[in-house]
Amino acid sequence: MKFGFVRVLLLIAALFVAIPAHAEQRNFFKIGVITELSGDLVTGGNITKRGYDLWAQEVNAKGGIEIQGKKYPVKLVYADAQSNPAAGAAAAERLITQEKVDFILGPYSSGVTLAVAPVVDKYKIPMITGSAESPLIWKNKFKYTFGTIPPINFTGATSIKTLTEMKPAPKTIAIIGSNDAFSKATAESYKAAAEKAKLKIVKFSIVPSGQDMTPLLSAVRSMKPDVIAFGGHDEEHVKFVKALKQIGYTPKALLMHCGITDKAFIDAVGKDGEQIFGTTCWTGTAKTKSKVLWPNAAAYAAASQKAFNNPGDYTQGGCSAAGIAFQTALQKIGAKPGMDEATRTKLIAALEQIDVQTFYGRVKFATSGEFYHANVGLDPLTVQIQSGQVKTVGPKASVEAPAIYPMKEWKSR
Amino acid sequence: MMELLPQALTDGILLGGIYITIAIAFSLTYGVMHVIDFAVGEWIMFGAFTGYYLNKWTGLDPFLFLPVIFVLYFGVGYVIQPVIHRVLSGTKGNPFLMGLVFTFGLAIMFRGLALTAFGFYSNSIPSAFSEGSFNLEPLGLTVTIPTVRLVGLAYALAITLILHYLLKKTNFGLGVRALAQHKDAAGLMGVNSKRTGSYVYGIYVGISAMTGVLLGCILSIGAQMGNEYTIFAFFVVVLAGMGYLAGVPWAALLLGLVQSIFMIYFNPSHTLLAVFAILYIILLISPRGLFGKGV
Repeated sequence: MKFGFVRVLLLIAALFVAIPAHAEQRNFFKIGVITELSGDLVTGGNITKRGYDLWAQEVNAKGGIEIQGKKYPVKLVYADAQSNPAAGAAAAERLITQEKVDFILGPYSSGVTLAVAPVVDKYKIPMITGSAESPLIWKNKFKYTFGTIPPINFTGATSIKTLTEMKPAPKTIAIIGSNDAFSKATAESYKAAAEKAKLKIVKFSIVPSGQDMTPLLSAVRSMKPDVIAFGGHDEEHVKFVKALKQIGYTPKALLMHCGITDKAFIDAVGKDGEQIFGTTCWTGTAKTKSKVLWPNAAAYAAASQKAFNNPGDYTQGGCSAAGIAFQTALQKIGAKPGMDEATRTKLIAALEQIDVQTFYGRVKFATSGEFYHANVGLDPLTVQIQSGQVKTVGPKASVEAPAIYPMKEWKSR
Repeated sequence: MMELLPQALTDGILLGGIYITIAIAFSLTYGVMHVIDFAVGEWIMFGAFTGYYLNKWTGLDPFLFLPVIFVLYFGVGYVIQPVIHRVLSGTKGNPFLMGLVFTFGLAIMFRGLALTAFGFYSNSIPSAFSEGSFNLEPLGLTVTIPTVRLVGLAYALAITLILHYLLKKTNFGLGVRALAQHKDAAGLMGVNSKRTGSYVYGIYVGISAMTGVLLGCILSIGAQMGNEYTIFAFFVVVLAGMGYLAGVPWAALLLGLVQSIFMIYFNPSHTLLAVFAILYIILLISPRGLFGKGV
């Protein structure tokens, strides 16, 4: 009996010796994708999925990623983070240890990314998130995590600056953020920018996610702020606009970060979405030039329209750009599928060195400082919804249309 | 800040109205069938999407469809109830626990189904009532009342009164109350427990679906919206006393007022903490709910 037990142990040990820790022979890149395919953040999660899918589809349509004259297709293996950081971390473990993926395309939300990043660091698997924007991710200096969308504290100030250039210039601002990693950081970045611009902050509140904010907005209304800035996610944006309309308060400007750039937001709120400001770093009309996959933003938007009947927003674009960043780095070091640890370490070094022009704009990851491994190659834009279209209204060098200010009253729309 | 008090109270009462609509039928079904239906949020979500599509296809105001939605979902609930009844009347294991697991499973399945059928975007149901609000000026203070929220409160009160009438003044209600008190004794007195249970579950699903339309007009809709409403329905019903229908409006109003006042006068980020704290304190003092009449 004892001998039998020892034999079983020896057999298991032999199996571990026989199977290399991670590397696996295959003729395609196996890429893990962790994102929110269910739960509260399902909208954002599916937008990231579209971005990753469109990149994979385009790469495979061209035969794959060309490495030293041979083309290797890509295969995406999805894991649902369920809008839950713990589930995201478990999904990362599974993709790495069971699926043995070559690298990972990361989650939609900052909260899940913060839970996944230590796991990919532990297993030394490179990850690029095409969406997460919380400054906390980059302050933690995770060696194996990168991001194509600049952090919110890098982009947020631009919109506040654009608003302060309006005539007559706003003097007061109320800032509200939903209590999750990204939304809170958004509100804090607006606060820092407003303080710098000498706007008087009449209210700064962080509220639990998904709550009815009508009572809080009633209090805000009594302070009559010129600008209301809100950090939140898609469903909260819709609720926020409706609540403001229901209490009958129209600020001179309503700023709601980047979630407003998706066509679905405009469809959901209709005419009430008109003249809302947002912060982004990419639109389908951005003037970009690239030699990789799509020649410019317009070509990408057209491809997205064809694939999903939606031109795509900055999150979707950021996810496709994440794929391009990996593709460029893989080609740079000539890495083939089934990478071992040494190759993955080289891949990290290559990602730190790449400086590539994409349809999304420049992708260049910072290698030190508070933005460590975040993309600092892009210029933030202030956008506004005008006649159902997202128009760039700032900074001056990128203006597509003059900003409409102040906003038209809800009741006279 | 005291000038905000009338508005805070108004917002709290209107928010309480929303909570009544979410919890009242949930409480009824617990009282009669002794099942905590974790799918309550999903019935709300299905109703919301039905209202959304009916409005989209016909262009008519979604409130006009409330009777249609009630009848449709009454039918769905009526058909599904025997399955739940079977789970709850098992003789092996713990039927109450199996009922919980069953409805929890239903909720997950419905969420997945909705994600596939309706997509992942958030949406909103437009209604003529959503457009306006009116101001009252008591003692020189302005209080704004959004029309759609007032309609919500009126709907909540109407549903409460109708259910009260149904339970207290009709033979059907007598049967339901008898069933809630003692299933076997009610059966001996001639109450058909299966059919009555089906009617009650049908009424609950129908009311929840109508509530979805209302919530879609006031807030927003999405395939994953159900979860947060399930949690609030549960809070309200626990606070009211499990299965004690008459306690629901008071518990809902209390929660609405706590939330509103805390959001305005204290730190809004701790609103849910305040709600939980009050719930725990009340349950510590009175484990059977606000009025001590829960199961």
